[in-house]
Amino acid sequence: MNRDIVVIGGGIAGIQSSLDLAEMGFKVYLVEKLPSIGGKMAQLDKTFPTNDCAI
Amino acid sequence: MLDVGRHPNIELMAYSEVDKVEGEAGAFKVTVRRKARYVDEDRCTGCGACAEKCPTVVSDAFNEGLGQRRAVYSWFAQGIPSTHTIDADHCRQLNGKKCGICKKVCQADAIDFEQQDRFIDIDAGAIIVASGYDVFDASRIPEYQYRQIPNVITAIEFERLLSASGPTSGHLHRPSDLAVEEEIKGLEKKAAKALKMLGKFEKKYEKGSEEFYLEYRDGKYEGDEDRRKWAEKYEAYLAVSGPLEEMKKEAEAFDVAKRLAFVQCVGSRDFRFYPFCSGYCCMHSIKEAIIANEHEPETTSVIFGMDIRAVGKGFEEYKIRGGNQSGISYIRGRVAEIVEGPGHNPVVVYEDTRERKVMEQAFDMVILATACAPSRDVEGLAEILGIEINRFGFFQTGTSQPLDTTRPGIFTCGCAHGPMDIPESVAQASGAAARAAQILTDSRMRKAS
Amino acid sequence: MRIGVFICDCGSNIAGHLDCAAVTEYGSNLPGVVYAKENLYTCSEAGIVEIQKGIKDHNLNRVVVASCSPRTHQPLFQSSCAAAGLNPYLFEMVNIRDQCSWVHMQERDRATEKAKDLVRMGVSKAAFLEPQDDIEASLIPRVLVIGAGVAGLSAAETMADMGLEVVLVEKEAEPGGLLNDLYRLSPYGENSSERIGEIIKAVSSKPNVTLYTGSRVEDIGGYIWDVDITVRQGGGETVKEKVGCVVVATGAVPLTPEGLYGYNGRDVITQMELEERLLKGEVEAKGIVMIQCAGARSPEREYCSRICCQTAVKNARLLREQSPETRVHILYRDMQMYGTENEQMLWDARGEGVRFDVFLPDRPPEVGEGKVRFYQPLTGERVEIPCELTVLSTPLVPREDSASLSQLLRVPVDQNGFFLEAHAKLRPLDFATDGIFVCGSARYPANVEEARSQGLGVSSRIATILFKEKLVTSAIVAEIDPATCVGCMGCMEMCPYGAIDYLPEEGVCRVNRILCKGCGCCASTCPSQSAMLKGFKPNQLLAQIRAV
Ligand SMILES: Cc1cc2nc3c(=O)[nH]c(=O)nc-3n(C[C@H](O)[C@H](O)[C@H](O)COP(=O)(O)OP(=O)(O)OC[C@H]3O[C@@H](n4cnc5c(N)ncnc54)[C@H](O)[C@@H]3O)c2cc1C
Ligand SMILES: Cc1cc2nc3c(=O)[nH]c(=O)nc-3n(C[C@H](O)[C@H](O)[C@H](O)COP(=O)(O)OP(=O)(O)OC[C@H]3O[C@@H](n4cnc5c(N)ncnc54)[C@H](O)[C@@H]3O)c2cc1C
Ligand code: SF4
Ligand code: SF4
Repeated sequence: MNRDIVVIGGGIAGIQSSLDLAEMGFKVYLVEKLPSIGGKMAQLDKTFPTNDCAI
Repeated sequence: MLDVGRHPNIELMAYSEVDKVEGEAGAFKVTVRRKARYVDEDRCTGCGACAEKCPTVVSDAFNEGLGQRRAVYSWFAQGIPSTHTIDADHCRQLNGKKCGICKKVCQADAIDFEQQDRFIDIDAGAIIVASGYDVFDASRIPEYQYRQIPNVITAIEFERLLSASGPTSGHLHRPSDLAVEEEIKGLEKKAAKALKMLGKFEKKYEKGSEEFYLEYRDGKYEGDEDRRKWAEKYEAYLAVSGPLEEMKKEAEAFDVAKRLAFVQCVGSRDFRFYPFCSGYCCMHSIKEAIIANEHEPETTSVIFGMDIRAVGKGFEEYKIRGGNQSGISYIRGRVAEIVEGPGHNPVVVYEDTRERKVMEQAFDMVILATACAPSRDVEGLAEILGIEINRFGFFQTGTSQPLDTTRPGIFTCGCAHGPMDIPESVAQASGAAARAAQILTDSRMRKAS
Repeated sequence: MRIGVFICDCGSNIAGHLDCAAVTEYGSNLPGVVYAKENLYTCSEAGIVEIQKGIKDHNLNRVVVASCSPRTHQPLFQSSCAAAGLNPYLFEMVNIRDQCSWVHMQERDRATEKAKDLVRMGVSKAAFLEPQDDIEASLIPRVLVIGAGVAGLSAAETMADMGLEVVLVEKEAEPGGLLNDLYRLSPYGENSSERIGEIIKAVSSKPNVTLYTGSRVEDIGGYIWDVDITVRQGGGETVKEKVGCVVVATGAVPLTPEGLYGYNGRDVITQMELEERLLKGEVEAKGIVMIQCAGARSPEREYCSRICCQTAVKNARLLREQSPETRVHILYRDMQMYGTENEQMLWDARGEGVRFDVFLPDRPPEVGEGKVRFYQPLTGERVEIPCELTVLSTPLVPREDSASLSQLLRVPVDQNGFFLEAHAKLRPLDFATDGIFVCGSARYPANVEEARSQGLGVSSRIATILFKEKLVTSAIVAEIDPATCVGCMGCMEMCPYGAIDYLPEEGVCRVNRILCKGCGCCASTCPSQSAMLKGFKPNQLLAQIRAV
């Protein structure tokens, strides 16, 4: 069995999945179609409900 | 975000797409296409010297087209990776013209016009698809005239206007005003160029252009070819400077947008487009109204919605405080149409259900709360992954395992799974990670104490 | 001493309000500084490369970064230093964004001068920094889950498959939580007890799950990563267990709306009571009115309980499916049918003839004499609906014992009494305290799918800790010098984390390095100056202060 994982999409969801799995010790390949990760959240000014900056 | 770039267990493959998936849970073979950036990832330091010198100006997609970038660019300033990318559609060199300026200025020797797409095979036990959503294209709703009326914009465009790192450095300038200012800049350049040319003639004949032109019109210099050119240049200048002065006068009266309208359910809860509720847009309208008011305390906002869905931890409280402190009011109902009034002010037309009367109200700017649309390439991706899509256009999941797609070993989370806000996306993302770990952990490998 | 100073522009966030070039120039001339560099974004990949290159090329043995908040960025800079071979505790950070560019936005010159002062202070302190080693501790791959509702059961099932041992404590005689008492589940209409039964069966079949029903966690001792728990079972006997992490999955309960809308449990009942009647097939009423937000979204209970609108629509449809002549009328403020399936249910309900009307919170409906009267704000009319049964959609409220549980576990609850996570957006399942997690309605009302996803999510959060060989934490902890400590125990009272013990035999106090969070309370209280916080020792702080 292969224990590596491919995560498709580097928005906040893909980032969180990747970080969790990487911390567990799995090797993660994070595939993002745009030049940088961050997804929609990177485009937001501040985000509810805490109104701190997005990234 | 940066943690992803630094984590020893994460291999970040940005500017890449999955091309093919074979095999089964525990033994997938995933082919990833690493698209040519024409910039060597290992060499590029992200310094941006190339983008500074690149002569080709392109509309900036990260800023929703409200700003500009160059043909060689970074997606956004703090982006991970910070590797720059050449936009092959616009780059002069890649389109057979002579340029290559970026290659000359790059100290790291990272520009590589010969780069090709590369294909990489990965052996993987599980796949998590977190490909998110697309912002609904509001121009599909003719009655809201997005694109026709400049001061009708989408919520994500508004986010960019609010952002200190956005195209207006966080000032709520109206797009119609920005367009005029842009035009003024263009005309000023033209005028300056024309003045320079006139200056040459003035020096040569030791006379002001205006004085000369009066004489010329009186027929004084008939047959003088050189002076005829001067007159022509002066006329051209007048054609520019007249409108320029007028525009400048107009621009003096420009102010930031202070009367805002938010139109909810644009493309959502609408059978012509998406029947579902996008879940987060009521909240982001409230948020944007609060932030606009923080920037400019005189700002007032009207939110037009059928229901205001503030359904998350602390959201109702957020809405109440926002309403009390940030000049927000609510009008229940769906907006019928938006028309353009004088002064580029968009006018919202809606039915006052109580008076049973059609009402109109003018605003400085109207913000459309666009739906969370399934991403454009969702069908293609579903086909590559061999998974199904549900009736709403998102990845189909199981009832007993809510994050499992229809193919064992492939899990989903976030807006690829359905519309949801960041807290929900984050919780699901951990959940999908757990499912992957669950099927890949051989219980014999880890015998607890 | 070979100190390197890095000044961040933060794009224009800092450089737009003070002269970063001047600060860099100034920094380069401070004593001990051999290299100073201005970065566009020190935290960007390019910035990090510049620090690491600086360390190598200039053989730096101290690094000072003047940028934003250490809270968000210090770990990054420290680990980047470590990657370049510099002990991470030889790093010092100065905050010229919050403390200069933000607070002195309109005063460029003064902001610049202040930034110079702060950099000078940071450099002075850096010279006195000492290398440290991170603290390591062993981990117990065993987890306590409190509450066996769908959230807790899902967490237990997943963690068991991940090879962790689970101790699942449920106070009721049967596991399953609220789902044991519901009729059918939205959005797909499954039988609720069958659904939860499947999950219970899966959990029961795991050899590495120990389920204690009719039991409560009575005591928690030791410290996180090595927790001693005492479980009191139904019969009165107690068991002791040792675990590494804790999950709070204690759910919530529907409010009983005493005094609201003439609630009487007979013809004015709650949705929960309606579910019970539906289960028993006891609903005969042909005219039914449901009133939303009964006891919610009001001054005394501000929050929206998220699940009651979906519950009402589900039950309205079930009632009409069972007897199509039943009239169901839902009075609401906002129908919270977020997402795909919920909104679809709302469309379907409307199409099937369930009636919906809005009411205003300051003119709530009146219930009595076989009818419900309300003011219809959209038409301005007063409307009367005859009905035999009124169903109140009451919110989920925290369980009675959640306050005492929060004290036992030393984790906070919010103003509504729900458990308060570390960060509402980015860490929804973690508590601020390490090693404790929350999922399901204990955090905030959640439907079954959400509670289950969160249960899974918690498993992942825990695996990020317990899959490791050992725990590594920061060396910035307090130390008490036994040679000078007089054992006054003043520090013990001050420590918010209970990290200090008194050793009666030696007559001195001692810091537990794993529990210590490095807050420094003890060091500032200690009358004999025996307690000291590493990285903030008197000589280090004095150097900083003298540089002002
Ligand atoms: C205007 C606006 C304001 C908002 N404000 C808030 C707010 O204040 N608070 C809040 O909680 N939520 C807010 N939201 C919602 C928030 O954007 C989403 O909850 C969140 O972004 C979802 O994250 P995601 O990772 O699922 O999707 P996305 O952010 O869409 O990320 C998906 C990623 O996958 C990549 N991708 C897509 N297809 C592929 C492919 N085939 N291969 C590889 N990669 C691919 C995309 O490029 C993208 O990077 C707002 C939304 C909008 C529109
Ligand atoms: C009337 C009604 C109808 C609903 N209908 C639906 C529906 O149709 N579809 C849907 O998706 N959701 C529905 N829900 C929501 C559903 O009930 C929740 O999603 C679910 O109960 C959440 O599960 P949980 O595990 O978080 O909490 P719970 O179900 O509340 O479980 C918590 C468990 O913890 C135990 N416990 C509490 N305190 C302690 C303690 N100190 N020590 C030990 N054990 C403790 C409790 O006894 C309980 O067993 C409905 C809710 C209500 C009130
Ligand atoms: S969240 Fe609000 S605006 Fe968005 S679709 Fe739902 S009801 Fe409409
Ligand atoms: S979910 Fe509906 S009934 Fe429940 S509090 Fe929110 S708005 Fe009121």
